[in-house]
Amino acid sequence: MTELSAQTKKFQKELNAGTSSLVLLSVLSRSKEPMYGYQIAKMLEESSQEIAIMKQGTLYPVLRSLEENGLLESMVEPSVSGPPRRYYKITADGRAALIEWLEIWKQTKKFVDANLKG
Amino acid sequence: MFNTIEEYLEELKSEMQESDIALIQDALADAREHLSMALEAAREKTPDVNEADALKSIVEEYGTPEETASAYQEIERRTSPFLKQTVRPSSFWGRVFGVYIDPRTWGSLLFMFITFVTGIIYFTWAVTGLSLSVSFLILIIGIPFMILFLLSVQGLALLEGRLVEALLGVRMPRRPLFAQPGLKWLDRLKALVTDKHTWLSLIYLVLQMPLAVLYFSLLVTLIAFSLGVMTAPFAQLIWNLPIITFGAERVFLPYWVLILLAIGGFLTLTLTMHLARGIGWLHGRYAKALLVTD
Repeated sequence: MTELSAQTKKFQKELNAGTSSLVLLSVLSRSKEPMYGYQIAKMLEESSQEIAIMKQGTLYPVLRSLEENGLLESMVEPSVSGPPRRYYKITADGRAALIEWLEIWKQTKKFVDANLKG
Repeated sequence: MFNTIEEYLEELKSEMQESDIALIQDALADAREHLSMALEAAREKTPDVNEADALKSIVEEYGTPEETASAYQEIERRTSPFLKQTVRPSSFWGRVFGVYIDPRTWGSLLFMFITFVTGIIYFTWAVTGLSLSVSFLILIIGIPFMILFLLSVQGLALLEGRLVEALLGVRMPRRPLFAQPGLKWLDRLKALVTDKHTWLSLIYLVLQMPLAVLYFSLLVTLIAFSLGVMTAPFAQLIWNLPIITFGAERVFLPYWVLILLAIGGFLTLTLTMHLARGIGWLHGRYAKALLVTD
């Protein structure tokens, strides 16, 4: 049982590795204002009420790596209480990547669905 | 499970023990930002909520320290500093002359020349700031001034870290360090003054100038010397200029010496490149030891 749930967890993690980048890019492309991590996490939580697909803590390293690859840019702004917040914004490269990634996602979805039906 | 955010951060730190300390610093900054905001939101909803109880559900959503640590390590494996990925030629000659196409060599060279400028700026800033801070201590503006100065030292240390990572290919922190929120002026000063990181950064900034002078003179001398020796034969062959003169006596060297000179100059230049890359490597380790907290 524990063996099985560990396998399931690993499967979920591997799936998330790609999809979280896509979801984050898409969320930030729709947002007019730059967003910070907590805000994004809250938004994702609201849109997936049934089960938590990914832990919020895993979003931050993904945001960071998207920024390192030039798809996002960020700035730090001090907050009145607590540590400063890092705001993320999508770049032009990010928008271009998102268009391509969405296409790949559509193809993948079609491919997986078609094969799961048998 | 966790009574305070600090406890969570401690646990996260120990989960990441094996990781690069710069990555740990980033992970801690992100976690601190998220957890304190979530805690604040929880307090707004129910003002008399216990911190431990609130943290329990927050951590459930954020992930345990173990899960968070593995998420960072996973991503880090995919994005290592750009300059780290160098071709490793296998043959001996490939390794000797491969130094010219190794991006780390050029990065190190550039870093040493830039250091000549930044070193002077850091030194001036550090010495002026420190002496003003100490002498202002008897005045009312002493403490705020010293806090601002010590914060600027941490800022400069972060900036220098970015430079080191970009040019020397050593992973350095990408997020600033944060002091605990809600501290009084005096407590904040105490935290800054008792932080080993502040003083190590200050020492680094001051030492950058002598090091910069050393690097700069060493490299300029060696590069000028090797280029000079390398091109001297052309002066004799093309413009008929003597390489050596004693008073009025002009010495023209035989052809085989000219060829040896050119080869010798090229070898010295190659050695200089190796030296530059070596110094860059050493400086990266040294910067990491002084600028990154563990």
